[in-house]
Amino acid sequence: QAFYKLHAISLDSTMGKDAARAEWDNPMQFVLACVSYAVGLGNVWRFPYLCQMHGGGGFLIPYLLMLVLLGVPLFYMELAIGQKMRLGSIGAWRAINPYLGGVGLASVVTSMYLCLYYNVINAWSFWYLFHSFQSVLPWAECPVNSNLTGHVEECERATPTQYFFYRETLDISGSIEENGGIHMGQALCLLLAWMIVYLFIVKGVKSTGKVVYFTATFPYLVLIIYLIRGVTLHGAINGVKYMFTPKMEQLANPTTWINAATQIFFSLGLGFGSLIAFASYNQYNNNFEKQAIVVSMVNSSTSIFASIVTFSIYGFKATFNYESCLERVRLLLLNTFDLAEDTISLENVIHWIAELNRTHPEQFASLGGRLETCDLEAELDTAVEGTGLAFIVYSEAIKNMPVSQLWSVLYFIMLLLLGMGSMLGNVIAVITPLSDLKFISRYMSTKTLNGLVCLFCLLLGLGFTTHSGNYWFTMFNDYGATFSLLFIVLIEVITVCYIYGIKRFEKDVEDMLGHRLNCYWKIMLAGVSPILLIALFIFYIVNYIQGGTPTYQAWNKELGKSVVTEYPPYAQAFIGLLLASSVCCIPLTALYTYCKKRNLASGKRERTVSTVSA
Amino acid sequence: MPSLTVPPGAPPILQSLTVPPGAPPILQSLAVTLERMLVRILVLLYLAGAPALAQTLCQPNASNGYRVRISIKTALGNQAYEWNENEMFLFRATMAFAMRRYYKTETYNVDNIIVCNQTRRVSFWFVVISPENPTMLIPKADVEKAVSMSRHRINNAFLLTDRTLEFLGIYPTLAEPVNPDTPPWLIVFGVVIGAVFAGIIALLVSSLLQKRRKEKGMMEDGQDEEDRQMKGVENGINLDGIYNRGFTDDDRFTKL
Repeated sequence: QAFYKLHAISLDSTMGKDAARAEWDNPMQFVLACVSYAVGLGNVWRFPYLCQMHGGGGFLIPYLLMLVLLGVPLFYMELAIGQKMRLGSIGAWRAINPYLGGVGLASVVTSMYLCLYYNVINAWSFWYLFHSFQSVLPWAECPVNSNLTGHVEECERATPTQYFFYRETLDISGSIEENGGIHMGQALCLLLAWMIVYLFIVKGVKSTGKVVYFTATFPYLVLIIYLIRGVTLHGAINGVKYMFTPKMEQLANPTTWINAATQIFFSLGLGFGSLIAFASYNQYNNNFEKQAIVVSMVNSSTSIFASIVTFSIYGFKATFNYESCLERVRLLLLNTFDLAEDTISLENVIHWIAELNRTHPEQFASLGGRLETCDLEAELDTAVEGTGLAFIVYSEAIKNMPVSQLWSVLYFIMLLLLGMGSMLGNVIAVITPLSDLKFISRYMSTKTLNGLVCLFCLLLGLGFTTHSGNYWFTMFNDYGATFSLLFIVLIEVITVCYIYGIKRFEKDVEDMLGHRLNCYWKIMLAGVSPILLIALFIFYIVNYIQGGTPTYQAWNKELGKSVVTEYPPYAQAFIGLLLASSVCCIPLTALYTYCKKRNLASGKRERTVSTVSA
Repeated sequence: MPSLTVPPGAPPILQSLTVPPGAPPILQSLAVTLERMLVRILVLLYLAGAPALAQTLCQPNASNGYRVRISIKTALGNQAYEWNENEMFLFRATMAFAMRRYYKTETYNVDNIIVCNQTRRVSFWFVVISPENPTMLIPKADVEKAVSMSRHRINNAFLLTDRTLEFLGIYPTLAEPVNPDTPPWLIVFGVVIGAVFAGIIALLVSSLLQKRRKEKGMMEDGQDEEDRQMKGVENGINLDGIYNRGFTDDDRFTKL
């Protein structure tokens, strides 16, 4: 027991733990920081897509079930660890079990990857925001070509919004191999994004705590404004009806449940170390149990709220396209059959098609392929997720709204706030463990450390602003944080429940909160969550192996659309490196600690022998 | 006795009607009357024949004609006017104006624009005949150039646009893109990045000033150092020790 006491004190001094650790001004700041981190772009662009894919209203059942079984308990556990250990992820996991300090390191590596590529989305949001200050939105029309006879070809084949995203925003190359130079506009926007991140974190939690008041609440204001605007748009009701019509047969599909679980998991931001970092700045007796439940509920309700907004916008866009299609067909019929203008209206186009086919069959046949079929369901079915939804589909809908510049500015400010809020969490997850390390905190102040981390991420992030940068971005997005996180959180749960011991964890929580752990938490943490995580993990591996060569969507400028292309061998090797680099931290650190302990133990034995002999 | 001046383009039969100067007065007056009648008949025939002639010039798919398609209700909705003969007259007059403007002459008239094949859609064909030679059509290329030059005026005469007043085969030239010296996005970017930069500098400078003020305050009373040492603080690390878990009981805390 004496040895244990010495060991504990020496651990603390190497951790550089000091009594004057920074703290949140009040618990509200902590809650808002967690909300700001958890409510991010995924709530806006991934959840509505999943809802549409998996049977609309019916998807809420697996989603809410997974929230209760998986999301809230793991969130609770991370907050508990952070608040108890009062250290960033590396220090906290080393304190729990020295052999599993690698878990913290893996979290930091994964957060670092996330920092690198996530801010590029903010750069794109800035680009779109600045381009909204024009009388005609640049993605509303195709630009004219050089001899003023028509529009640019690539734009004619694709749509103006796609052209603006792929050509003017990204200036994308044809494949991941063609690198090209850096897009200066993108680089400038990325610089601005990193400068703003630095401004928010420069004074540590003192500055972050004030910023989160704004980044957590303002997106809700914009979402409410958009909800009011959205449901009053013509045709919005089609989208909302489509979304909420439950298709219960989707519940039988296992992919639905797996997607619900992964969505809860990634939406709450578990495993990155951000929650541990945030909680480490809490007062020791802060009631994190209530806060964990509140933040998880807020996150899920925001997803549902945002999907109502998204679907009303979808409905508007689909109705607009459907009616434009009907208008084109109407004009075609009027022009071919030379009928007076008011004979065919939008309502009876379909009736007239049948009529004219019957009365003038040869002339009708001459129409041939020019006659389009207009289908509202097909328009609504075009489900898109990710950057395609946010920057292409949404901007297409916005350009058709009246006073489109105002809505565009509001929308991109909302995207920026959501993205910045999440970025804060990501950067703090990297900086907190680094500033806890004694050899760093001795040589430089927090401001310099923050500045260096931001500068480092900016320089590496410039790689995503090259002509092929979007392909690297997609690679990082798909592989950088998905698999490794599952592994990290699985190890975390097993460590806390079985290696550290659920009884010790219970005592720690009781010490902090004053009451015992509820049996709900015990059952979930020790039983249900690990099983679900193992199932998810196995599914991911099976899916990855079955998927064959990893592919990506490359933009083809001749065709004006994306084509599925395989990754070249060096890119596949890089994917492997991404996955391995964070996962390997755990076994490697365990090995390193084991070797160090063996050397320490043998060294001690030598010393004791020498004193005795002396 | 006045002798009728025979017009130069008149058919030979008229020219042969010139009365010899020594003829009796009755014969002369008879010749005059006959000439007048013949001229009137010829003029009438010419006038009757001209539309027929013109009709043969204006045909659907004529080599020098263009088809026009007008969509008034699409353009104006409730305020649409009806397409009637007066509007057609205005069209012909506008086209004559366009031809005058292009050739920079004043010879073109409404009669030089011939319209045919009007449909309920409101579409029709038109050709332009030369004012000097009514049988000659103005070539397609010239008509196209004339229309392109005055397209904006033609559209405005009818309160229509390039899309609703279509000349099939004549493509509207698109507006030249406005290229400002500095792109507007760069201006907004400059403002925002300037504000952020100012914010960062302000925060750094204020914390630097705060630190210097604190240091000055500390140096003035050096007693603080000794006090801190007595409290057992060294290098900022509290040496009071931490609560050691190893000595806690495994039992629950008993409440008194």
